[in-house]
Amino acid sequence: MNSTRFLYLVSVLRLDSNSCMPEEGKHILEPQQWVERYGDYLYNYAIVRVNDSEKAEDLVQETFLSAFKAKDNFLGKSSERTWLISILKRKIIDTYRKQYSSKESSMADYEQDISDGDFYRSEGPFKGHWLEGKGPHSHSLMPEGELEQKELMSIIQLCISMLPPNLASAFVMKMIDEAESDEVCKELGITASNLWVILHRARLKMRKCIESKWLK
Amino acid sequence: MMRKIGHNMMVFMSKHMIACDEASFLVSYRSEHRLGFKQWWQLKMHLLTCHLCRKYAHQIKEMNLSVDKYRESCSHDTCSHHLSDEASSKIQHALDRELHAK
Repeated sequence: MNSTRFLYLVSVLRLDSNSCMPEEGKHILEPQQWVERYGDYLYNYAIVRVNDSEKAEDLVQETFLSAFKAKDNFLGKSSERTWLISILKRKIIDTYRKQYSSKESSMADYEQDISDGDFYRSEGPFKGHWLEGKGPHSHSLMPEGELEQKELMSIIQLCISMLPPNLASAFVMKMIDEAESDEVCKELGITASNLWVILHRARLKMRKCIESKWLK
Repeated sequence: MMRKIGHNMMVFMSKHMIACDEASFLVSYRSEHRLGFKQWWQLKMHLLTCHLCRKYAHQIKEMNLSVDKYRESCSHDTCSHHLSDEASSKIQHALDRELHAK
């Protein structure tokens, strides 16, 4: 093939690739529509994970502003919404990290958060057994009707919000975001055994909280 | 004789049995790890004899299912959280400022 023919082919192919796919399948950004289109969606995503409406609103705003600043990095391969969520995810993980680094200033609180002292007997022949009233009472926590189901969902949300931040971030990453343990450890800068102690502690608290609200 | 058997049983139990704190930890731990034979056996024996931990294990299983449902309900836009009008306009305002600055 001579060089002119080759160049011709290349130019045709290029032309083709432009004309057949005029940005088709490629997503574009429309920042002026973001708040209206994705405001609620991002807010929902954030509030489930940070459980604080003010913090969630701030995260949504920061996400939009960072996204706008980084708009040139958007390749159009994923949808606008997916791209915004990926930015929000990073921001949420940063919030978790901050919660973890602030634990050093109050190490006593952290120790308190992960100690089992208030659930089990600490001495006597029944050391390690459930303290009176701290173990489970009812057998089932399952809702029966749709109404109960809805109620349980709001109880879960309330109970997550009542977890100490140290426990909440690990619990949410693992249970809500379904992140791998390695990833949670890496993001939060904790060891695997520490993570399991934290998760166990969070489950103890969550179970107690759900049961007490559920039985009311 | 009986006293000796009783004593030996106590020694055996304190050496090999686990209490509720460890058992409830293992209940959590086994959701993602394969327990070693000793841990598996200890947990099995504990659950056999402790009705509270049996309830605990049952409730944790239910709680995991409910948390799964909670996650799903919120990922399909059915979660009832909405940005307040005030927050919405505040965010829009901040974004507009950026848009017009360019």
